[in-house]
Amino acid sequence: MSPSLPAGGASPWRRNVFLVARREILIRLRSRVFAGSTVVMVVLVAGGILAASYFQVGTPSQPAAVRVGFSGGAQTLEQSFRSTAAALGETVTVTDVADPGTGRSQVEAGTLDMAVSGTATAPVAVAGESLPSLAEIALDAAAQDARLAAAGLTPSAITSVRAVVPVERVQPTGSRKPFDQGAAAGLVVGILLFMALGMYGNFVSQGVVEEKATRMMEILLATVRPVELLAGKVIGIGLVATLQLGLVAAAALSAGSISHTVSIPALGVVEVGSYLIWFELGFLLYASAYATVAALVSRQEEVAGATAPISILLGVSYLLMYFALARPTSPLTTVLSFLPPTAPTLMSVRIAEGSAEPWQVALAMALTLATIAGVVWLAGRVYANSAMRIGARVRFMDAFRG
Amino acid sequence: MTTDRRLEIKGISKRYGETVALQNLSFDVRAGELFGFVGRNGAGKTTAMRIVLGVLTPDAGEVRWDGVPLDFAARRRIGYMPEERGLYPKMRLAEQLAYLGELHGMSGSEARVSALRWLNRFGLKDRANDDVQALSLGNQQRIQLAAALVFGPDVLVLDEPFAGLDPLAVDVMSAVLREQADAGLPVVFSSHELELVERLCDRVGIIDRGKMVAIGTVAELRAGGHERLWIDAPGAPAGWDSGVDGARLMQTDGSRLLFELDPGVDNQALLHAALATGPVLEFSRVEPSLGEIFRTVVEESAA
Repeated sequence: MSPSLPAGGASPWRRNVFLVARREILIRLRSRVFAGSTVVMVVLVAGGILAASYFQVGTPSQPAAVRVGFSGGAQTLEQSFRSTAAALGETVTVTDVADPGTGRSQVEAGTLDMAVSGTATAPVAVAGESLPSLAEIALDAAAQDARLAAAGLTPSAITSVRAVVPVERVQPTGSRKPFDQGAAAGLVVGILLFMALGMYGNFVSQGVVEEKATRMMEILLATVRPVELLAGKVIGIGLVATLQLGLVAAAALSAGSISHTVSIPALGVVEVGSYLIWFELGFLLYASAYATVAALVSRQEEVAGATAPISILLGVSYLLMYFALARPTSPLTTVLSFLPPTAPTLMSVRIAEGSAEPWQVALAMALTLATIAGVVWLAGRVYANSAMRIGARVRFMDAFRG
Repeated sequence: MTTDRRLEIKGISKRYGETVALQNLSFDVRAGELFGFVGRNGAGKTTAMRIVLGVLTPDAGEVRWDGVPLDFAARRRIGYMPEERGLYPKMRLAEQLAYLGELHGMSGSEARVSALRWLNRFGLKDRANDDVQALSLGNQQRIQLAAALVFGPDVLVLDEPFAGLDPLAVDVMSAVLREQADAGLPVVFSSHELELVERLCDRVGIIDRGKMVAIGTVAELRAGGHERLWIDAPGAPAGWDSGVDGARLMQTDGSRLLFELDPGVDNQALLHAALATGPVLEFSRVEPSLGEIFRTVVEESAA
């Protein structure tokens, strides 16, 4: 009748936490919500990166060389064309072409980006639609050099005529360059973190109320301590969240490496790793906060009302992220990135923009961990004291005092 | 065995603010017996059971099992069916039973085997992969009992296990409880269905307003009530019994009369009085049912 079990045995808290966590994980992995949301997030992130590379949004890491063919008298322009193009930062490949007709047909076929014919002082060119304007400018400059030489100027005179006006570039303080790729990545990361924290925080709230709402609590409390039940749920849900975000991160990194024409520093392995760490910290913090308030109610219908303050806090940190993106160097942004409730999103944004220094990240993580310890303790206490109070909403101070 | 593996509730008291839920409640449930715990709603049955399970802490008193005060490890060996039925609605039957088995200390494979065995015993093997919410209420209640049994408990504590069950389900559940008791477990359950308790239980405890007001075997309790007699003396005129002190007429059924005697009154006096009127066709003792005992005891405790 009774299987061979130790009569009393050591406290089984590890096994209990494991069993509760395993149940959470299995049930959530099997749900359609998990599959659906993972697919959506992976498609958005990977698709976004691939689209960005297709539309040449980032800095091209291996810019394609412009292929220019010269025929006839224009071939004397080749040298000065190359050097001017180099000075302008455009990579060119120069070839000789037999005649204008061959050049034109090669441009039409796509094997050449531009074919130049005619004479050195009066060249004509045929080009494809995607010819970078710098190539045209280089060609104009080469032709002008030829005409200046034909007009009798010496090479040194030509050089002094063509001296470029020095322009000093200054960044207006505190503002954002239009379409900075780091900021774009920061925005996406911030939105993803906010969505994930909100979604999984919600799962924790619902999970915390589940045993009271289904009356399982009494059966479980005969063999599981309240703290073990809470810990198992939070850990189980956290692992599912980590798995999902890990899949998204892997998709992002592979999309980034597939589309190797784009390199965004914000998507480096270290950076993505730090976003995941910030998610874990944010999850532990918000999950414990959600658990503390959700523990006071007994029915799923009451969860939203009870957890409203935490959701508002999360929403505020989301809005502050936009402030941080607009004013990345503002002191307020820096301070907020250290405050535990806003640190996960804001620090991640600053890491994406490249404005966060390692010591700042470490300090913010330490502060967040300390806060997490406190909120976890509070959650455990409130949950344990509320576990058998099923029915009307428990007052926080009653649950705290026990 | 030197210890007899009985469950002992010793002097437990519990109050909620002004309300006294339990007052110095004591009783034993011996190994191998079915103990019926009866009382009105609000008498304290559920509170007492929750204290045994450790879900509530008493203000005074203790619970012992096998001679030792119950600790958390020992409590995990109790099979409990709470009054508030609860199961995860969207979890599959077999999986849920196995989960509960594992939480009570079984290994994964032991739990799975036991879960299927109990599903089979309750005729639900085909529905092993259905969600709990897909079951009828009667079947859900069987699963609730299976949840208490899956890990092979050493004690059974069941709060109103028969509530809302049809007669067939009652039979199945009664048979299971009897088996468990015969296997050596102390089994205590509460119920309002006094005929069932009378039929099934070895001993009964009646609780009222937090106190145990009567306890003993069914026979002891029934015998402890007032003696009752059916007398059929067709020729007797009305009032023939007025000479016998302490005999009250309770009921008539044609010429048959039901009398209740106060304690100490000799039933032979009534017999002689009846014989004096003519032939006596019937003179039989009736033992009160448990229901009648219950009503009497509870009324007396209110007085």
